Amino acid sequence: MKTAGFPLAFVMFAGLAAGQQVKWNYEKLAARASDSVDVDLDGSLLRLAAKFLSSDDPDQAKVKKMVEGLKGIYVKTFEFKSPGEYSPADVDAFRAQLRSPEWQRIVGVHSKEEGEDVDVYIKPEAKGIGGLAIIAAEPKELTLVNIVGPIDLDSLSELGGHFNIPELEVEKKKK
Amino acid sequence: MNLEDELRSALRRKEPSPEFTERVLARVAGRPLRRASRPWVRWVAAMAASILLAAGAMGYRQYQGERARSQVLLALRIAGGKLNKAQKKVQMLNAAHRNNS
Repeated sequence: MKTAGFPLAFVMFAGLAAGQQVKWNYEKLAARASDSVDVDLDGSLLRLAAKFLSSDDPDQAKVKKMVEGLKGIYVKTFEFKSPGEYSPADVDAFRAQLRSPEWQRIVGVHSKEEGEDVDVYIKPEAKGIGGLAIIAAEPKELTLVNIVGPIDLDSLSELGGHFNIPELEVEKKKK
Repeated sequence: MNLEDELRSALRRKEPSPEFTERVLARVAGRPLRRASRPWVRWVAAMAASILLAAGAMGYRQYQGERARSQVLLALRIAGGKLNKAQKKVQMLNAAHRNNS
């Protein structure tokens, strides 16, 4: 009985961990930012949002399909008045939170010339990608993205490229 | 007559006249009785309140849904943009590497 208890608990914990969001510690950084964008959408809000996305519009239909399997979308963008208001150590602290066996860094782009760093992490699963995290640091902007659930990277990349998503009223928190 | 006697005389007990009782009873009988409230009025009020509550809840749900939809589009646009940027950089580096070799 004891021997069966451990694997069962392990499987339950692994299942729980697979669906968990990354808990970024960004409070200090948020205090220094001049503007910020904060999107927190858990599974229930995503299901609600999916109901309001049109199936007739091909663009929205793609988003709807992508969102339906997700368990959460969490995006934080901090804008700063001048470069150097956050340190490389701040960014390293976020990277450190993703240094675990369940996360795998697939892209790390560091441009000294433009002062831009983008790190893309995925959570590999048997059936594909079970989660995504992006840390994008620019001189006056820092973005943290965490998508929980199965995600197709090509479709997501399209959303930021030629895919025509209308400009939205960005809810910015002015400081 | 001193003050004490005057007061005693003024405040002495007087029985009401027989007409007084009759007058009071006649007035009470003539007053219209308060109508008991009709039960359907309560039902209509309760239904109206329920309809208002349901409409409010539906309106709030609509607002929440529209807001969630906008946030999803915004979040995916930001995430997609960053991913797209990283991909383009990798492609550029690959192309430069191929040209050099």
